[in-house]
Amino acid sequence: MNTQSNFWQYNKTVLMFAVVALTMPFWFPLMGGYSGLDTKIMIFCIFVVGFDILLGFTGYLSFGHAAFFGISAYVTGIMLKNFSDNIIPAMLVAVAAATVVALIIGLLTLKRTGIYFSILTLAFAEMFDSMAMSMLQRWTGGENGLTGLPTPMLFDLKMQGDTVFYFCALMAIALFYFAKRIERSPVGLMMKAIKCNQTRLEYTGINARRYKLLAFVLSAIYAAIAGSLMVVYEPFVGHEFLGWHQSGEIVIMSVIGGVGTLVGPMLGAAFMLYFENVMSVNLGEQWLLVLGVIFMAVVIFMPGGFMEAMARLKKRFFTTIDGE
Amino acid sequence: MDMTLNAFTLSLLTGLQLGSIYVLIALGLTLIFGTLGVVNFAHGALYLIAIYLAVSINNTLGFGLALILVPPLLFVIGVAMERGLIQRFYDRPHTDQILVTFGLAIVLQELLKWIFGANNIPFAIPSWGNGIVMLHDYLPFLEGFVVYPKWRMILVVVAIVTVSAVFALLHLTRFGLVIRAGMRDAEMLQFLGVNINRRFMVVFGLGAMIAGIAGVFGGPVTQVSPEVGMQLLVPSFLIVVIGGMGSLGGAVLAGILIGMAQSFTAPYIYLNTIIIYLITVIILLVRPRGLLGAKGVFE
Repeated sequence: MNTQSNFWQYNKTVLMFAVVALTMPFWFPLMGGYSGLDTKIMIFCIFVVGFDILLGFTGYLSFGHAAFFGISAYVTGIMLKNFSDNIIPAMLVAVAAATVVALIIGLLTLKRTGIYFSILTLAFAEMFDSMAMSMLQRWTGGENGLTGLPTPMLFDLKMQGDTVFYFCALMAIALFYFAKRIERSPVGLMMKAIKCNQTRLEYTGINARRYKLLAFVLSAIYAAIAGSLMVVYEPFVGHEFLGWHQSGEIVIMSVIGGVGTLVGPMLGAAFMLYFENVMSVNLGEQWLLVLGVIFMAVVIFMPGGFMEAMARLKKRFFTTIDGE
Repeated sequence: MDMTLNAFTLSLLTGLQLGSIYVLIALGLTLIFGTLGVVNFAHGALYLIAIYLAVSINNTLGFGLALILVPPLLFVIGVAMERGLIQRFYDRPHTDQILVTFGLAIVLQELLKWIFGANNIPFAIPSWGNGIVMLHDYLPFLEGFVVYPKWRMILVVVAIVTVSAVFALLHLTRFGLVIRAGMRDAEMLQFLGVNINRRFMVVFGLGAMIAGIAGVFGGPVTQVSPEVGMQLLVPSFLIVVIGGMGSLGGAVLAGILIGMAQSFTAPYIYLNTIIIYLITVIILLVRPRGLLGAKGVFE
């Protein structure tokens, strides 16, 4: 209600995230995370925060966000290879291309709700995947992926090691702040109203489709920025960037962390990447099986993910002390 | 497009054969969706269980036992899945249902990969199904020598029989009448004193059983590897959507349509890879409810 008193509250999360993110190179290796994984975590934080604008706010479950991630990654790669090794034009063109695609897909798919929407977004992503593997093979490199990219440059700065990490971390902080701003804006309220009861919202004379499309395109832009950064981080575009595995991974991250909380999905992303790359050493080939079981357990017993778990623990241990 | 009668006949048969597998999987999906309102992302995994069971039994005990055992086993697995998991999600949002079945699909796929390995397991076709059919012996208008694998023709026949049986069950029996009524208005049926819960369980088992039949006969054609489930699930979903969600006739029609489209575009590699998505988009723009979708069903 009162934005003034909430102001500190909202920015506290962003500041906390900024501190955690920027100090990551110092404490992350202590946990066994190899250098570079922290960069990847930042990139996926961007991806899931954007995804939460769509899934968390409006309740639309997309199974095709790999499309925007992948298209942007390919365009970035092609730009770096053929135009200039400066990342600024590459990223701009990539995000613009993905935005146009998102507008078209959004206009076509958002007519349908729930299940239809999930299936249609999945279909579109699969279509782009098939196209990249066949008719666009000359540009995408097909199954082998797009290789032979130059070292990306930010003007005179080589994008390697810590430079990439801080670049991605700063982007993640800025985009998280932006998402937080959307959350507490009237637009964010409209998006959340769509999730609560779209029919009722429309009866009040509000054009819900405009807000749905906005949420969809915004989340696609986040995905596109993440996809583009992925190529800046590692100058290579794999064909799996476009596959349904990628879309599924984002869904799993968001759900495990806690949909609709913005922070939760980032926790989910960090957990999943850490799990996949560090903890999986002990699990070998079966890490995905264990992850699947964890994911199912979360959906069945704790639909709010990590954030709900934390809230429950907090309530259990602090209720009596605070007297809440 | 210059196409000889021979090539046309072969494309027609291939289209029917592709469509057969799609129809069998989409039929189960749409049956479960229409009655229970659940989108089963784990349906591809059910097919996966079926082909692994079929190949294991076939390669040790013979095809006859695989044919007798696998569909009933899948029925039991389907019922167990519904009772143990899906049942808890009837009152939860659709997205939760998608998520939990998606999770289940990953778990089942990884479990099967762990047990059987990631590589393709050869599925030996029984001797009576081996070989080729001399089409030119039966169809006088064909020129010269035209043959087609016998097993693939058997697959088409099995699909036709299965689809007919499902339609007979739904349209000629009292059980079918109740199920069809449940597809239209489950709440009303409950008010009339019908225990729909038990019938829902049977429908889920039935959908799984159809996937079982598809697995026994489709396994040798689609290969037996962990990726097959998801590879078939996406087109099957699209077929359900194109046909109209919850419409059995629509699923059959759309399945054959997609099979034919893939078969006839085979010479044009670029078109072939996207034809299924192209058809989906066009149909949904022209007929948002799908080909035979009923008004007011999950809109």
